[in-house]
Amino acid sequence: MRIIALVKYVPDSGDEVGFEADLSLGRVGPSSRLSELDEYAVEQALRLRTELAGATLTVLSVGPAEAESALRKALQMGADDAVLVTDEAIAGSDVFGTATVLSAAIRSLEGGLVVAGMSSTDAGLGVVPALLADSLCWPLLSQAAAVSVEAGLAKIARVDETGSRVVEAALPAVVSVTDQSGEPRYPSFKDVLAAKKKSVATLTLADLGVDASAVGVGSARVEVLAVGRNPDRAAGRVIVDVDGSSVDEIVDFLAAATK
Amino acid sequence: MKVLLFVIAVAVSIAAVALFVRGALTLYRLIGAGQPSPGRLGPVGKRLGNMVTEILSHRRFRARPLVKAAHWVVMVSFILLVPTLAIAYAQVLDPYAELPIIGGWPVWQWLLELFSVGGLVAIVVLFTVRLRHPSEPEDAAGARDWRSRFFGSTRWQGYFVEAVIAAVLVCVLVMHVLTSAVLARYPETAEAGSWVHYPLTFWVGQLFWSLPPVALEIGIVVAATFKILVSMVWLGVVGYATTMSVAWHRFLGVLNVYARRETDGTPALGAAAPMLVDGKAFDIRDLDDLDEDATFGVGKIEEFGWKSLLDFASCTECGRCQDLCPAWNTGKPLSPKLFTLALRDQAAGMEHSLDIFAALKSAGAAGELAAPTRDADLVGGVISPDVLWSCTTCGACVDQCPVDIEHVDHIIDLRRHEVMVKSEFPEEFNGLFGNLETKGNPWGLPPRDRMDWAKGLDFDVPVLGTDVTSADEVDHVLWVGCAGAYDEKGKKTTRAVAELLHLAGVKFAVLGQAETCCGDSARRAGNEATYQGLATENIETFASYGVEKVVVTCAHCLNSIGREYGQLGADYRVEHHTQVLNRLIRDGRLNVVAPPEDERRQITYHDPCYLGRHNGEYDAPRELLASLPEAELVEMEHSGSSSMCCGGGGARMWTEESIGTRINSARMDEAEATGAATVATACPFCAIMLGDAAASRDQAPAVTDVAHLVLAGVKRGLTNPTNEAETES
Ligand code: HEM
Ligand code: SF4
Ligand code: SF4
Repeated sequence: MRIIALVKYVPDSGDEVGFEADLSLGRVGPSSRLSELDEYAVEQALRLRTELAGATLTVLSVGPAEAESALRKALQMGADDAVLVTDEAIAGSDVFGTATVLSAAIRSLEGGLVVAGMSSTDAGLGVVPALLADSLCWPLLSQAAAVSVEAGLAKIARVDETGSRVVEAALPAVVSVTDQSGEPRYPSFKDVLAAKKKSVATLTLADLGVDASAVGVGSARVEVLAVGRNPDRAAGRVIVDVDGSSVDEIVDFLAAATK
Repeated sequence: MKVLLFVIAVAVSIAAVALFVRGALTLYRLIGAGQPSPGRLGPVGKRLGNMVTEILSHRRFRARPLVKAAHWVVMVSFILLVPTLAIAYAQVLDPYAELPIIGGWPVWQWLLELFSVGGLVAIVVLFTVRLRHPSEPEDAAGARDWRSRFFGSTRWQGYFVEAVIAAVLVCVLVMHVLTSAVLARYPETAEAGSWVHYPLTFWVGQLFWSLPPVALEIGIVVAATFKILVSMVWLGVVGYATTMSVAWHRFLGVLNVYARRETDGTPALGAAAPMLVDGKAFDIRDLDDLDEDATFGVGKIEEFGWKSLLDFASCTECGRCQDLCPAWNTGKPLSPKLFTLALRDQAAGMEHSLDIFAALKSAGAAGELAAPTRDADLVGGVISPDVLWSCTTCGACVDQCPVDIEHVDHIIDLRRHEVMVKSEFPEEFNGLFGNLETKGNPWGLPPRDRMDWAKGLDFDVPVLGTDVTSADEVDHVLWVGCAGAYDEKGKKTTRAVAELLHLAGVKFAVLGQAETCCGDSARRAGNEATYQGLATENIETFASYGVEKVVVTCAHCLNSIGREYGQLGADYRVEHHTQVLNRLIRDGRLNVVAPPEDERRQITYHDPCYLGRHNGEYDAPRELLASLPEAELVEMEHSGSSSMCCGGGGARMWTEESIGTRINSARMDEAEATGAATVATACPFCAIMLGDAAASRDQAPAVTDVAHLVLAGVKRGLTNPTNEAETES
């Protein structure tokens, strides 16, 4: 079975956020990289690959040519091969466009299990796994804190404020994992060197048979009207107190704040 | 009968020499099977010169003057007595036999007597020292005696070696007594047997004048035979037991000193040894030359270089390293001595000696294997991972070791294998490595915040590339460092240094966002690839702005940039801020003014390992403190070259410290014991570690960088000019 881990190339969370002319998010910052949340997806996919006899792991990304570096990182972590779908026509796609491209790629790669992160770290919408499952007509097991696969069934544990629940679905399926699923491994230098010999295949829309007009800015259903910067946070007020005399001051402050 | 004794002596000698030669060959093979240790054999002249002076002066025996003197006498007596062993064979046949030429020469005879008696006294001293330090745990299951440097040393071997020397020396003296007595009996030889030739033993010999000469002759023959037998038993036992390094050290220690890392006689500190791949230093810039199945660091015993294997075989088990190890002294399973001995036994490919293994076990330091096999993984199999990761690379062990064993390099080599091949390391390093690789600093904070420390200063700090084009335009480039840019305490120190430079009228600039971590933590955590990635980035940055010298506030940056970047082809002059400030004060460019009388106080100074032991700078910060009129410097129990680590070196800054007590807390105990109001230090890592220790106590001394104290003194002069006039008069 081919496991496919989805990864996104994003600006580092420490970079200044930049926007393209069409107000879409700039993908290539000074230190863009494999999204930290997607590292969890790669980690879980690697684990499942080891557990499942005969499984292979392909990492898949949609993005500009520079996104190869995100795939390289996943290869260093241990993925077997990598596919980058890159095409001028994809630029400016919204989540629907992205899901369309991904589902075409997954079909053509004959994937049997898709593992995604819980959300990207740049746009942060967190809906691609759901849209993708819909487009593939596969079941979705989202927000997994733990995943296992046994006898053609994927089983996850989802933990939220209300408690934890275990959900299962027959393969093929889409699973998204949270940052609680287990620390991503740090590739050893041996792995880094070994990854140099692995290949990153590039596919275009034509290769996947996707109509260019179905994706890209033109067909985006989401429109960004404006972007702006949050105002810098003002310095807070510091109350220095050595003898407990500030109690009233704090109570007044809280009362005013909750009014 | 003489002939019979002679035959026995010769037969035993042949057997013993055969065993010894076999042992020597075994060791030669074992050590020779190691990987290349390039550069350790030459330059011959310089190495020989250092070896002879280092050993004759016992320069590397630190502290313990009594043991040092006693050992020196024992060593010299051993060298002197070798020829007397040769002549002993002749004396078995002819009690009057003498060494040719020098045998009857009074100078030689005086020397012999002096060193025989001296050696005997000295060996009693060494013996007593050993007796007074128990070497076994009182309760083998768990207890260990913290105070004993001999804990885990193979006790019987030490006693055996000492007993042999004592017995041989007694034989020599008995023979002298009897020879002088028998010679003094006959008028024609009376002069040869007088005190002129036997300055000490002649007087004892008088007691035996009443015995018949034949009896004296028999006594000489028996003593000569006994001397040969004892010496040969030693030789045989030592030849049989190649791991008996307490005996082998007198040969191997000499070779080890010859092949030491630094030919200038300094300990193997400062820069970590380069990581060798197939005998060549690894360089991240030539990855294409790398062999397909190249391996990194050391995973199994045979992957060590031969010099490392020689190190292990030379250990005298003296425990000086263990005695000062901050990890051992706070209850961690790492003792640099037991670590060395475990590797020694592993190299010998034999059963681990029970003393060592039991000691390792009782210290929780042994690996998982009940009896490690020859091809065992060193980490996990022979020693536990906790041993490896407990080291702060403080260098106390290397500094202490009289036979120049290079513990820190061994530990780093093992860590390299764990990280670069096995990807096994303390969990916290995941974050550390990721932060270093993606953000260029251990804290994982954004590079754009690197200049935050300068906000609110009342002067502009020029940044190279933006405000200044090249380093030539300024007197100093201030290297801020990650702690200096991101840590709250570190930022304050950077500000203080910048203010002082500004007040002194020094033109300086910084690199701003162009800086990335110096790589010290990555390198000491065993991540050579990440270290070199960072280092080469900095080297390129320096090149683009023409930077050749920098001032740093962090001892780790000082060591990396100044001592380690040279291994990557760079050559920078790096000064520590205490050195620069000290000079500015001496040149009168900064004036420190005393506070009012009631603010005078005692200050103790904590030596950062990477400033002191690793880079030999103990004085500049102390001179700075001495220049503060309000300060009286008091030293802690451990200071200077035997100072105790804060616990933050060797990338330990980034890991939890869950075994034993905390090193920073133990160090703070020492600081508190001085009664000083302030602990001054000169490295942001130390300030963080000690600051943490102080924060958890009610009334701990304040922890601060020396720079703050200087700045306070200088500022006092600015706000109160009369005061300044006073101090200048
Ligand atoms: C060449 C003749 C030498 C002889 C006969 C000799 C003999 C001894 C003896 C008998 C001991 C006492 C064993 C013990 O109690 O631990 C000893 C310990 C020691 N030897 Fe040597 N040794 C020689 C050379 C050297 C050399 C060349 C070095 C170093 C460069 C050296 C370093 C030491 C050290 C560090 C100790 C441990 C002392 C202590 O307890 O602190 N020895 N040696
Ligand atoms: S470097 Fe320091 S912590 Fe490490 S073994 Fe040596 S003395 Fe102990
Ligand atoms: S390593 Fe050096 S200091 Fe430590 S016990 Fe051995 S000889 Fe002594």
